[in-house]
Amino acid sequence: MTETQGFIAGVMLAIALGIYTFWPENGFASQREKTRLEYLLERKEQLYENLRDLNFEYRAGKYPEEDFITQRTLLENETAQLLAEIEHLQQA
Amino acid sequence: MRASHRLTFWIKGAQALALAVAVCFSLGASNASSRFNNLSHRLMCTCGCAQLLGECNHVGCTESGRERNELSAAIAAGDSDQQILASFAAKYGATALAAPRTHGFDLVAWIAPFAVFAAALLGTILLVRRWSIGKTPVPAEVHDPAADALREKIRRETDAGNEGEF
Amino acid sequence: MAAFGSFALLIALALAAYNLFAGTIALRLIATGQPARISPERLADTARRAGIASFIAVTGAAFALVWSVFNNDFSITYILEHSNRALPAPYKFAALWSGQEGSLLLWAWLLGAYGFVLRLTHKTDVKLYAYAGTILAGVQVFFLAVVNFAAPPFSLLRGAIPEDGNGLNPLLQYPEMVIHPPMLYLGYVGFTIPFAFALGALMMRYPGEKWIKITRGWTMVTWLFLTMGIFLGMHWAYAVLGWGGYWGWDPVENASFMPWLTGTAFLHSVMMQERKGMMKSWNVWLIFSTFMLSILGTLLTRGGLVSSVHAFAQSSIGNWFIAFLVFVLAVCIFTYILQRSHLKSEQHLESLVSRESSFLFNNLVLLAACFVILWGTLFPILSEYVQGSKVTVGPPFYNRVAVPIGLFLLFLTGVGPLLPWRATSLRAIRRNFVIPAIALWATVIVCLAVGVRPWKNGSLDAGDFYALVAFALSAGVFTAILSEFLRGAGVIHKQTRRNLFAAMYLLIRRNTRRYGGYIIHIGVVIVVVGLAGAAFNRSEERELPLHGTLPIGPYTLECVGFTQDSNLNYNSEYALLDVYRDGKKQFQITPEKRVYLASEQPQTMVAIHSVPGWDLYVVYEGTNPDTGQPIIKAFLNPLVSWIWAGVVLMVIGTFIALVPSLAPATATVRVPARQSAPIEPALKGGD
Repeated sequence: MTETQGFIAGVMLAIALGIYTFWPENGFASQREKTRLEYLLERKEQLYENLRDLNFEYRAGKYPEEDFITQRTLLENETAQLLAEIEHLQQA
Repeated sequence: MRASHRLTFWIKGAQALALAVAVCFSLGASNASSRFNNLSHRLMCTCGCAQLLGECNHVGCTESGRERNELSAAIAAGDSDQQILASFAAKYGATALAAPRTHGFDLVAWIAPFAVFAAALLGTILLVRRWSIGKTPVPAEVHDPAADALREKIRRETDAGNEGEF
Repeated sequence: MAAFGSFALLIALALAAYNLFAGTIALRLIATGQPARISPERLADTARRAGIASFIAVTGAAFALVWSVFNNDFSITYILEHSNRALPAPYKFAALWSGQEGSLLLWAWLLGAYGFVLRLTHKTDVKLYAYAGTILAGVQVFFLAVVNFAAPPFSLLRGAIPEDGNGLNPLLQYPEMVIHPPMLYLGYVGFTIPFAFALGALMMRYPGEKWIKITRGWTMVTWLFLTMGIFLGMHWAYAVLGWGGYWGWDPVENASFMPWLTGTAFLHSVMMQERKGMMKSWNVWLIFSTFMLSILGTLLTRGGLVSSVHAFAQSSIGNWFIAFLVFVLAVCIFTYILQRSHLKSEQHLESLVSRESSFLFNNLVLLAACFVILWGTLFPILSEYVQGSKVTVGPPFYNRVAVPIGLFLLFLTGVGPLLPWRATSLRAIRRNFVIPAIALWATVIVCLAVGVRPWKNGSLDAGDFYALVAFALSAGVFTAILSEFLRGAGVIHKQTRRNLFAAMYLLIRRNTRRYGGYIIHIGVVIVVVGLAGAAFNRSEERELPLHGTLPIGPYTLECVGFTQDSNLNYNSEYALLDVYRDGKKQFQITPEKRVYLASEQPQTMVAIHSVPGWDLYVVYEGTNPDTGQPIIKAFLNPLVSWIWAGVVLMVIGTFIALVPSLAPATATVRVPARQSAPIEPALKGGD
């Protein structure tokens, strides 16, 4: 490939990529803010995970009864608050 | 009783740690037959290959053969390890030693890692302690119908208990 | 093709710059809500497409270089210096990264490729991806600026074009060299992605921790590439350099190891953020540091700051990298200060006896190791500055300082999995430590019984002592992890009545990340066993005339002949050695020495016979000029193959961790009649 041919190929590449970049497209994905509810649902999923895991580790013999109950109460209280807010938002 | 057990545990742990640290600083072979091997792994080949003298083997190395002979000669002459290392450093520069010396500014090279590690360890322990002190007391379970219902729902959804099919 | 390549690189730079600026403006408009003549979403989308287009342009340039190599276009300086006509095809590919300009182009191309995938999958979270994509474009602009202006791969030769090129460095003419650098680069470059996500999430004050879930796969894949890159490099050093070892604490090896350490720390501590919203600032700085360390690694390798066996490709681009590093650091600090209120931890550690605290210590140790290596790598520069003379910080330094830290880390690898999340007391889980402790002490006894002697002639033998500790800890850690599998499987067995193997399979499927991680840990343990074997290496060197013998370990080598060979690429001479064990001939090996024609450089080809217990490693060192007799050096390196086996397990573990866990909603749970709602399942461990 000579220098001129290379140069022409380069210009063609530039044009093609320019067209691709600036093609007036209307189907682009828009940016939607995450709602509080979505955020809370994510948190709920994580807290549920933590609770399931706590149960699992308890059964696997990593917690004595009292530690398990303490931790479960802490997590359940936190989750309960969250669920209450979720319900509140869903009803609104 | 339990407290004393714990104390013994920590004392034993501390002893083990102290031993380990002492060991780290007191290493070094003195067996005459292994001196060449030992010393050649504390010196660098000076041809620029960035390999230990004892391991430099790249084809056509102009330095390592001669330096190894020098080392053997010095050992045969009965020089001490320190003398040999010092003479290599004097002849070829400080870069001929594979590790920094343990005096002067070079000592900083040895101290800094342990100092930083100790400081970080101390920092972490203090941090954990501060967090543990600021721990909120465990609230008691609240018993009202709404809270019970929520708790019931949470348990149902996260814990199948012993009857669950996996 | 050179003209096309140069032109394509310019186009790529222009498009990446457009991506950076249009992306920044669009995100700024969206963040402030200012009215603008053009819809900011539309602007952001053109920026995204410019990023994709930029990748296509870099691909064009990379293709041009490969094409030119294969067509022996020696009018391009880079190709003249790194290839020749007789070079076999795979190594012509390797020429792409054997020099500075080519490797920077490879870097830019890989970054483009990662960005391409990221920009195509942007619908996962449009805004976060827009931020990440824009930051990525910023990094890309830097690398493209370097290949365009500081280290152009397509610069043309002035004067007459030679008939043949100078050839590829013989050290690089080895099959692994075709995959080791790209793997390593995939690792280095890949850390740009979690960096971009973390910085982006911080800039936009991303609500919640879901961005970590989104980037998890990216981070693990990157980590995997870096791991494989490092180990392939070790294997290459072992099989090619011919000094019988695989890790020399060379600055370039260190450069690849540092981001690995911080990246590993990040992979662990980020779980705390995901689960409990803890350690947010810490994690952000871990990933910032990881990215900056990979840039620093490139600076160390390419900038000629420190001396290294990887002395190919040094030049003056160091200043570019220093400037970029300072700029990145400034951006990180600025963003952090501006947004640090967003990083307030929601929760703290509850107990010293918890998985969280073990992660904390794991991070501490990994970072301490990273500091030791950084310190050792940079100390010669510091020394030159302070006392006017360089010193060498070589293997003896690292062996003394880093090995104890590494063993402590190994210890934590075993303790961590035994601790539960959140809080418990030591008393509660003490029995879980019993079996690992027994395994540990049993190993000590066995090792002492079979002749590992930490004390020799009244003083301590460093190698044997560390090896003993490493073997014992490995046994303890392995047992701890195994018992963790068994305990988990036991729970499932109790609940479902499946047999233990089925239960274990289900256990892994249920939480691929945790148990994949444990498999990686087992891999690490096996690697450590292999590394510890180095304490018992033996070597013998002697002139070996025809029918001369060389005993080493259980083997006796007998020389049965020498022969020579030549092809277009190199001339070679090799020794034919019969290997006897217990008086019986076992096999023949042929260590070799080559002289490459184009570069006129000699190179040894090591002969390795590998069995699980040891490697017989034989080097043909050439002939003694005085006697004309060939010199053979033989090594017996115990347990080396364990290292490679461990790595394979680490790779398998990472793949398992990458598979999504079985969704919790597959089980139907028998519930009391009054509850009819569909129910989420039972057991599912977190991480």
